[in-house]
Amino acid sequence: MTEMSKQKVWHWTVGVLGIALLLLPAPATAESPWKWQKSLRIETPGDAMYMPSAVSFDPSTERYYVVDTGRNRLVSYSRAGAMVKAFSADNRLLAPFDMVRLDDGTLWVVEKGRNSLTSINVGAKQVTPHVLRDGAQRIFPDRVAYGQGALYVLDRASGNVLRLNEDLSVAQRFGCPDCTDGFADFAVTDDAVWALETLEKKVFRFRPDGSIAETIHFKGQVGFPVSMAMGVGLDDALYILDRHQHRIVVFKRNGQFMYEFLELGQGPSQVQFPRQIRFDPWGNLCVVDEGNGRVEVFSR
Amino acid sequence: MLLLLLIAQGSALAAVDCFSCHDRDTFQRRVKHQPADDGECFTCHNPHVAPHEGLIKKAIPRLCFNCHEDMRDGLQQAVVHQPVRDGQCLACHHPHSSDQTGLLNARLVDTCLACHTGLPKQYKYTHQPYAQGKCSACHEAHQSDHRGLLVKEPTALCLGCHDRSALKRKHADYPGELKNCGTCHSPHGSDRKGLIRNVLHQPYADGCGDCHSGKNTPVGIDTCLNCHEDVEEQMASSHNHLVRYKENGCIACHSPHAGDDGRLLKGSDRYVCSTCHLDTFQHYDAAHYKHVKTASCADCHAPHGSNFPNMTKAPINAVCYPCHEKHSEFSHPIGEDVFDPRTQQILTCASCHAVKGTQHESHLRYDGHRALCIQCHRDI
Repeated sequence: MTEMSKQKVWHWTVGVLGIALLLLPAPATAESPWKWQKSLRIETPGDAMYMPSAVSFDPSTERYYVVDTGRNRLVSYSRAGAMVKAFSADNRLLAPFDMVRLDDGTLWVVEKGRNSLTSINVGAKQVTPHVLRDGAQRIFPDRVAYGQGALYVLDRASGNVLRLNEDLSVAQRFGCPDCTDGFADFAVTDDAVWALETLEKKVFRFRPDGSIAETIHFKGQVGFPVSMAMGVGLDDALYILDRHQHRIVVFKRNGQFMYEFLELGQGPSQVQFPRQIRFDPWGNLCVVDEGNGRVEVFSR
Repeated sequence: MLLLLLIAQGSALAAVDCFSCHDRDTFQRRVKHQPADDGECFTCHNPHVAPHEGLIKKAIPRLCFNCHEDMRDGLQQAVVHQPVRDGQCLACHHPHSSDQTGLLNARLVDTCLACHTGLPKQYKYTHQPYAQGKCSACHEAHQSDHRGLLVKEPTALCLGCHDRSALKRKHADYPGELKNCGTCHSPHGSDRKGLIRNVLHQPYADGCGDCHSGKNTPVGIDTCLNCHEDVEEQMASSHNHLVRYKENGCIACHSPHAGDDGRLLKGSDRYVCSTCHLDTFQHYDAAHYKHVKTASCADCHAPHGSNFPNMTKAPINAVCYPCHEKHSEFSHPIGEDVFDPRTQQILTCASCHAVKGTQHESHLRYDGHRALCIQCHRDI
């Protein structure tokens, strides 16, 4: 076969394949429905939030609470995004990292600087650090959540999620003995505890007795997942924050990729070192961006 | 038949034509690349014009993957050797012929040590395969499912040569199944008999009782922190590096018994850190412009914990200045009194430079001629 006839065959092959590809259905990846709505930030230079690490909510007063780790304080915002107050418990907070506010007004704050789960009664100005233990082992609290009538903490040392009794003793452990690493984040929904494992890129759904009910594997789609949120009642999707790729990747409950959004930068819809994602009580998705010192809020 | 004859004649003519100028002997060393040996020069080269140096038809590695499809498929494995990932086939292989098996440019050991310059040719006590230059006894050259490009899971690799029963007799007091040999033994060599790593943890040198209270009793993190109070202080930071690793997160990175230096790490910085941060190293390796390699990750980062972004050991400017002394005198204003107008965050070296690398000169975050400046100076 001459070089010219080889080229003709090649051109015909490419042409036929090209037409065939055009006739194939497009891949089923959706566009992100999330639109930037507002930033929770402090505009005053020199007083801006520094390395915020968590966001929490109070539906009754319609407040956002942002844990401003680098400045050892908690900052509250109105639902519209206006800053309300910065609270440092009279400068007694030490590297606060996460928090929840209970209906009775008690704040439970993870203080990395004290390795404690600290309760704060704002009205009485009482700040009480609690160093937790699980039997003989010291607990190193990392994340805290409230759900199903109990406090939950993520223990970095064991890598387990722990449900606590009222006296802060451990009531139940949620762990993965076969995993390479421990959990990086978790979520508590009405009927389950969900936990994210970074290195193996898996999310586990636990039954109340601590047994694993389901494993969602999303390997290959995500670089370094550090936080998760469940779109329960919204789209039942699994939201994964990929810190190194500066994006949120959304999966169906069976692990199938749906879409991704966000990018690296300093503008709206851009993040620098995203740390945590959470749904607020009004269905918005909040992204805590440590690098840009703010929380980006997205609505559908 | 006529067509086949024409093709065959064409190949032969091509070979004759090429070798009339190109010295045939350099194509006829002990190991020959099949197309070159068969005179099929046009498989890779265009005799008249080509878009790539050497008149090759496609860029390497795409040219090589035309035939070596298995190499392309292998790029999906967990660990890929950097020159393979970078498509630098010719870093190790000669395209025409070689005196070495696998068309290597030099002896296997010399090929490896040409890049792995930190490895000595021999130790006081050298592991036999290493002494014999048999790198491939333990390592894959291209890609592997195991860290360190090992041919097997580490413990299985050791037990492939070392009899398990004999090892058990030598480690009579070892609790549980023998595994993780590399936490105490250097796989290449050391100054100690038995290839025990050079620096011993003092409690290990003194005996076992300081840490171990009995067989099958796990040694918890509090046992480590009782002595290493400074580490406990470092871990009381917003970003600590405590990780789950069995009963004790310390031994995720450190060997409790012996190491190559005082840090008692389980391997090189890259080996230890890439256990979790593999994607960071891959990003760095792939970046066109990046910060020069430092001797240790700990040159910039606080490995146990820090209250600064990215777990740097100090505010980012303070980390950079000791090496970039002059930049502190002439650079764009940065520091605690200068704020990024986009975010109100303190302006730092990292506001413009991405140490792990970018596609822009001086590892700038955007093109330095304009795109970078207009991020803040929008009126330019």
